Amino acid sequence: MPEWVNVVIRSTSLIVVIFIIAKLFGKRHLSQLSVFEYLIGLVISVIAATVSIGLITPFWHGIIGLGIWFIIPFLLVLLAIKSKPVRDLVRGKGTVFIKDGKVMEDNLKKEKYSSDDLLQQLRNKNVFQVADVEFAVLEADGDISVLPKKEKQPLTPKDLGITVAPIKEPQTVVMDGEILYEPLATGGFSVKWLETEFEKLGVSVENVYLAQVDSFGQLTVDLFDDKLQVPAPQEKPLLLATTKKMQADMEIFALSTQNKQAKQMYTKNSQKLQKAIDRLTPFLSD
Amino acid sequence: MTVASQVKQSLASIKSIEANLSSLAIRSQSKEAQQSFHETMEIMHDIQKDLHTRVGEMERQEEQYKGF
Repeated sequence: MPEWVNVVIRSTSLIVVIFIIAKLFGKRHLSQLSVFEYLIGLVISVIAATVSIGLITPFWHGIIGLGIWFIIPFLLVLLAIKSKPVRDLVRGKGTVFIKDGKVMEDNLKKEKYSSDDLLQQLRNKNVFQVADVEFAVLEADGDISVLPKKEKQPLTPKDLGITVAPIKEPQTVVMDGEILYEPLATGGFSVKWLETEFEKLGVSVENVYLAQVDSFGQLTVDLFDDKLQVPAPQEKPLLLATTKKMQADMEIFALSTQNKQAKQMYTKNSQKLQKAIDRLTPFLSD
Repeated sequence: MTVASQVKQSLASIKSIEANLSSLAIRSQSKEAQQSFHETMEIMHDIQKDLHTRVGEMERQEEQYKGF
């Protein structure tokens, strides 16, 4: 057998092996690897490359080396999932850089971080003033995590005491002009319903690039033809407005009637409507 | 527009609100939203009944407002 055939066979089988190894190590991003894991990856790829073009003879020595460089780190990874000390050893621990708003200079020195490095990392996190930081830690993967002081944190509905409606993930029901049946069924909608909604909007399925249904069953679409204007869903705001008008009407009727009993009935219903409006507002306002 | 016809119009509106809420309750994904829509729908139904009775009274008192 000529040598080049051997190279073809070895290379092809090694591609399969490397693919399996990569799959077994999971989905971690390159930038999240520790230096140790990075070096292991390098060694494995160098061994695979040299074995595949036949620099290592016999072939089996290369495979043994590859196996050991794969199995030991793989066992370490498995062990690290189970045990905290092993994890700290293999993946490293985070280092606290800022605590109670004070910079820990000793920890900076330990991680070979200059004050400029710290400022740069903080700026990466959109923090330009050290005084705004309550707590910052250098993670094991070299990224810095910042907890800003409470008054410097983004405002949330909870801070404002606003009740908001819970939402679920929207379902994408049309892609590239084709109906996706599975997400449609997950959302609990039928094809018939979708067709009716498209009819209401005055578009046909073929012209729809993307269509999504939100957790209130409202359909939003993007068309291939960008010159066409698609109306935004009006149902919820309209419903809220009608309910408010209804409440106002009840008050007017209560004021204008002479009948005592009717007056009472209108007043009671106006109050009921006000309660209903308060209850519905978080769900109906976008 | 007479008061009677205004009340009749309101009766129609409240029916439409009730139907809209019912449709939203069916289509909503989250339990909390479903419950809110459903409960307000029931309130609307009570109001609708009250208005209906009132329309009946008005028609009885003043024959000329009968019908739509």
